[in-house]
Amino acid sequence: MLLFCPFCGPRDETEFHYLGEPKARPEPAAEVTDAAWAEYLYVNANPRGEAREIWLHRTCMDVLVMTRDTATNATLSVESSRPA
Amino acid sequence: MRETDWAPARLIEGTLVARPGFSARAPAGLGRTLVSGDLAAALAALAPGAPVLGLYEPAPKTAHALRIARDRALVVTPAPIGAEDGWRDGWCATTVDDGWATIEVEGDGAPSVLMQGCAADLAAGSPSAAVLFAGFRVLLARTPGGFSLHVERPWLEALSTWLDGA
Ligand SMILES: [Zn+2]
Repeated sequence: MLLFCPFCGPRDETEFHYLGEPKARPEPAAEVTDAAWAEYLYVNANPRGEAREIWLHRTCMDVLVMTRDTATNATLSVESSRPA
Repeated sequence: MRETDWAPARLIEGTLVARPGFSARAPAGLGRTLVSGDLAAALAALAPGAPVLGLYEPAPKTAHALRIARDRALVVTPAPIGAEDGWRDGWCATTVDDGWATIEVEGDGAPSVLMQGCAADLAAGSPSAAVLFAGFRVLLARTPGGFSLHVERPWLEALSTWLDGA
């Protein structure tokens, strides 16, 4: 499978590391219950089909937000979290 | 030797691997400086006129920079340049003369070694010379007799061992 880094271009999937689903960390930390924190850490939507995912390109260290189809592995869009 | 024992480290410079089809050697005395931030300003100050190379581009013997990321590159010079470490004018230098190592792979078997180690489409090119080679993060350049790999020094022994079995 090829994934696309906005800076480096298409690269083999082994160069990328999956970081998780984009979601807001519950705040403020002192008021977050154990259950809410566990849900943040461990409960994922994990959809079949179009999914938003955060990936790290391990060679250039860009953090990417990808929209992918998890059924076909097609990358629908990708943005760097850093300015161009 | 038991496989759980550490192998004695090879030389940092000189011939690392000698196989029938190819050899891998570490050239002596190169200067290496990591630069971050404004790459054009950093190169103008440290190595004026040095080309910035992407993936598997021909590397001259003279000073050149291997692009890692948008704002990061490794400047390779024929000898250490003694850059002052730290930030100034939007860029930062870190001297890594012995923090990184270079392996030059040459011989008729070099293309086959390259294909075993690297899954990237080298003909397509890339602005970044950084790529995974045999699972190691390296900077890959083309040389007249094969290719060169620049790698963080702690990986040199493991990468040499992989090359020995390629
Ligand atoms: Zn990249």
